[in-house]
Amino acid sequence: MIWALLAAALAVAVVVVVALPFLREPAPASDALHELDPAERRLLEAEEARDRALGALQELEADHRAGQISDEDYRAVVGSLRRDAADALRALDRLRPRAAGTSDAEAKID
Amino acid sequence: MAELGRAALLLTLGLSAYALVAGGYAAWRGRRRLAHSARNALIAAFFSTLVAALVLVFAFVRDDFSFAYVAGHSSRALPTPYKLSAFWGGQEGSLLLWLLVLNGYAALAIWLARKRAKDLVVWVTPVLGGIAVGFAWLLVAVSSPFDVIAAPADGSGLNPSLQNPYMVVHPVALYLGYVGLAVPFAFAMGALLSGRTDERWIVATRRWTIVAWTALGIGQLLGAHWAYVEVGWGGYYAWDPVENAALMPWLAATAFLHSVMIQEKRGMLRVWNVTLVSLAFCLSLFGTFLTRSGVVTSIHSFTKSSIGPWFLGFIVVAVVFAVGMIWLRLPQLRTTAKLESLVSREAAFLYNNLLLVALCLTILWGTAWPMVSEAVRGETMVVGRPYFDFFLRIFGLPLLLLMGIGPLVAWRRASLRGLTRTFAWPAAVALATGVVLITLGAGSSTPGLVAYSFSAFVLAAIVHEFARGTSARRALTGEPVPTALGRLIGRNRRRYGGYVVHASIVLLAIGVAGSSAYDSVAEGRLARGQSLDVGGYSLTYRSLGEREGANATEVRALLDVRRGGKDLGTVQAGKNAYSVEQQVSNEVGIRTDYLTGEDLFVIAEQVNDDGTVFFRVFVKPLVNLIWLAGLVFLLGSVITLWPDAREERRLATRYASARERSDTPATT
Amino acid sequence: MIALSVAAVLAIFLLYTSLAGGGTPSVSPTELAGKTGEVALAGRVVGTPTGDPHGAGMRFVVRDIDGANKQRVTVLYKGSVPDMFRSGRDVVVTGTQQADGLFVTKPGSMITKCPSKYQAADTPA
Repeated sequence: MIWALLAAALAVAVVVVVALPFLREPAPASDALHELDPAERRLLEAEEARDRALGALQELEADHRAGQISDEDYRAVVGSLRRDAADALRALDRLRPRAAGTSDAEAKID
Repeated sequence: MAELGRAALLLTLGLSAYALVAGGYAAWRGRRRLAHSARNALIAAFFSTLVAALVLVFAFVRDDFSFAYVAGHSSRALPTPYKLSAFWGGQEGSLLLWLLVLNGYAALAIWLARKRAKDLVVWVTPVLGGIAVGFAWLLVAVSSPFDVIAAPADGSGLNPSLQNPYMVVHPVALYLGYVGLAVPFAFAMGALLSGRTDERWIVATRRWTIVAWTALGIGQLLGAHWAYVEVGWGGYYAWDPVENAALMPWLAATAFLHSVMIQEKRGMLRVWNVTLVSLAFCLSLFGTFLTRSGVVTSIHSFTKSSIGPWFLGFIVVAVVFAVGMIWLRLPQLRTTAKLESLVSREAAFLYNNLLLVALCLTILWGTAWPMVSEAVRGETMVVGRPYFDFFLRIFGLPLLLLMGIGPLVAWRRASLRGLTRTFAWPAAVALATGVVLITLGAGSSTPGLVAYSFSAFVLAAIVHEFARGTSARRALTGEPVPTALGRLIGRNRRRYGGYVVHASIVLLAIGVAGSSAYDSVAEGRLARGQSLDVGGYSLTYRSLGEREGANATEVRALLDVRRGGKDLGTVQAGKNAYSVEQQVSNEVGIRTDYLTGEDLFVIAEQVNDDGTVFFRVFVKPLVNLIWLAGLVFLLGSVITLWPDAREERRLATRYASARERSDTPATT
Repeated sequence: MIALSVAAVLAIFLLYTSLAGGGTPSVSPTELAGKTGEVALAGRVVGTPTGDPHGAGMRFVVRDIDGANKQRVTVLYKGSVPDMFRSGRDVVVTGTQQADGLFVTKPGSMITKCPSKYQAADTPA
C-alpha cells in the first residue's frame, strides 16, 4: 500500500514541477523567448575573434620568451598575428564603441 | 515495491517525452515558460529515475527474490558490496544505470548552462529528452528490471568473475564515460538547431567532454586490469568486441578533444568537430548495443536479445539526425580560416585526428565485420588478433611520435630551421635510447624497439617543455624551482595538464610494448618438488591446499620463487569453486617486482587428482607501467579540469552582454 | 581535401583486406560439413568431456546453439581451457575438420562466454 502512496506522491510532485513556470506566471507581460538578434550575435562572434587573436599573440610571446620559438620564426609570424588582433579590435570597436576598446588596443601595441 | 519502480520509470518516460516534444516546440516557437517547463521536466526525470534505481537497490539489499532480476543475479550468500554491483550485472539493470547517469548528466548540464547559454539550452533540452525517451522506452516496454515472479528460496547468484572490486567500479566508470558523451553531442546538435555559429557550445561542454573521456579511459584500464588479474589468461586486452566497444568512442573523443582546440584558437574545423562529436556519441550507442545485444560472437554475449533491433533503430535515428543537421547548417559552418602550412601545429593536430579516426574506423570495421560479412556473403567471418595488432602499430606508433612533435611545432607556420633546433635534443635522446636498448637485447622486436625510442622522444620533449617554461618564469620572477614550476602549471593548466596526460599515454605505450613484445612464457605439469624456469625465474611447486571461503571452496598451489640464486618468496595460484553458481574460476598468482615493473604471472591451469598441477607461467616486463599510467592520466585530467579564475572571469564578461539581453523578456 | 584523400585510401585498403578473404569463417556444427581449411566452430558443449587438454588432448562434443538441426561434432582440443568451460556452455574453437569428421583445434584457441541467464532450477534450496 505504501508503495502506491509513494508513487502517487511522486507523480503529483513531478506534475507540479513541470507546471511551475505556468503557475508562477499565469499572465506574463510577454512569453517570448528572447533569442540573440543578429546584432548581438555579431558582437559575440567579434568578441570571440578578439579573444582568439589576443590569445594567439600572448602564446607566441610566451613561447618565444621560453625559447621554444626561434627569433626568425617569431619574426615571421608576429606581424600577421598583430594584424589579426588589430583587425579584431577594430571590428569590435565598430560594433561596440566603448572605452574598453581603446585600452585593449593599447595593451596589444605593447 | 516493484510497482513503485515501474511507476517511477513510466514517469521518467513521460517526463522525457514532454521534454522532447514541449521543449522542441518551445524552442521552435520561442515560448519562454514552456521552455522553462521542459527544462524542469528533464530535471524531474532524474529524480524519478533515481527513485526507480533506489527501489532496485533496496530489493537487492533486502534479498527480495520476487524481483526476477534480483533472483537472477544475486543470492543470500553474496557479500553486500556485490549485491550492490549486481544492480548492473544484467541487461535490465545496466540499462537503468545508463538512464540514471544520462538523466543526472542532463539535469546537471542544463542547470549549469541555464544562465550563460539560455538560447542554446532551449534546443539542448529536447535533444537530451529524446535520448532519454529511447532508454526509458526500453526499460518500460521491452526490458524491465521490475518483472515479478514467485520468489524462489534463493537467487541464482552473481557470475563469479564479477565478484571482485574491479567489477564494482569498472561498469560505473565506463557508463560515466559513454553517457557523458551525450552532453557535448546534445550541445552540438543544440547549436546546429539554433543556427548559432559561435563557440559557446564548445566552451560549455569542454569540461564535460574531458570528464567523460577520462571516465571512459579509466573505465577501460580498470577493465583491462580486471581481465589481467581475474580472468587470468595472461593478457589485459583481447580485441574482444566488447572491449573495442569502449575503445572506439574513446579514440573518437580523443580526436575531438584535440580538434576542438583548433576551433578555439583558429576558428577552423567546425564541420569536422560536429561530425566528430556525433561519431563519438553514435559509437558509444553502438558500444552499448554491442555489449547488450550479443550480435557479434564474443566472450561476453552470444545470446541475441530483444533489445538489439531497438538499439540499432536508435543509432540509425541518431546518425540520420546528426547528418541531417550538419547538412542543413553546412553553409553557416564554413569558415574562411585556412591551413597555412602542412608543417604547423594545426597540421599536426590534423594528422593526429586522421590517425585516431583511422584507427577507430579500422577497429570498427574489424568488430563489425562478422555482422557485415554475414549479411553480405552469408558467411560469418571473424577477424583475429593479427588484424588489430597490425593496425594498432601502423597508426599507433606515428601517433606516439606525434605526441612529441605536436607541442613543439609553432602555430600557423614552422620553419625547418626552427624545427631542427627544437627537435635536436629529444631526437638525440631517442636515438641514444634506441642504441642502448639494442645492446640490451631489445632488437628482438622491431615494433617494440620503435615504441621505446618514440616514447623516449616524447618524454624528452615533455621534460624539455617543463624545464624551458620553468626557467623562463624564473628569469622573470626569480622564484625557486618548485614555485616556478607550480605557478607555471597553475597559469597554463590546460597546456601542462595536457603534457601530463601525454606522459601517461607514453607510460602506457612503454608498458604495452614491454609486456607484449618482450614477454616470456613457459608451461608444464609439475609434481611436488619439481621446478619450471622462465625469463630468469625458477619456480618450484611445494604444496597444494584447500580451504572454505565465504561462498567458494578455494584450492591453492604454493610455489617458491627464485631468481639468480636469490630467494624471492612464494606465490600462490589455483582455483575457486563456487557452490551456488556451480562454477569454477581461475585465481592467478602475480608477483610484482616494483623496481622493474615486471610481473611474474602464474596460472594453475589444471589441478589433477594425483596432486600434480599443470602450470602456465608468464614473465611480463614493464606491465605495471600500464597501471601507473592510469594514475598519471587521472592526475593530468584533474589539472586540465581545474577551474581557472581568470579564464572564468573572461568568459563571464564575454557572455554577459549576451546574457543581459536573454534573461529579461523582450518587451513588445 | 587532405582528409578526403586519406579517407579514400584508407577505405580502399580496408575493403581490399576484407574482401580478399581476411578473417576466419565462423560456422556452426551443421555448417561445418564439407568445409576444408581453418574455421572457427561455434557450438554448445554436450555430454562429458574426456581426456587431458595438457596431455593427449581433451575430447568433447558440440552441437548447434540454435536451430532445429542438432548436428554433433567431436572436437579434439589441446591447450588452456577457460574457466567457463563445462557441459551446456557455448564455446568457439578454431581449427580444421579432419577426414574422419574429428575437428582438431589450434592449441589454446578456445573462447567461452558467460551465460546471460542462470537456471535457478539447478540448485535445490
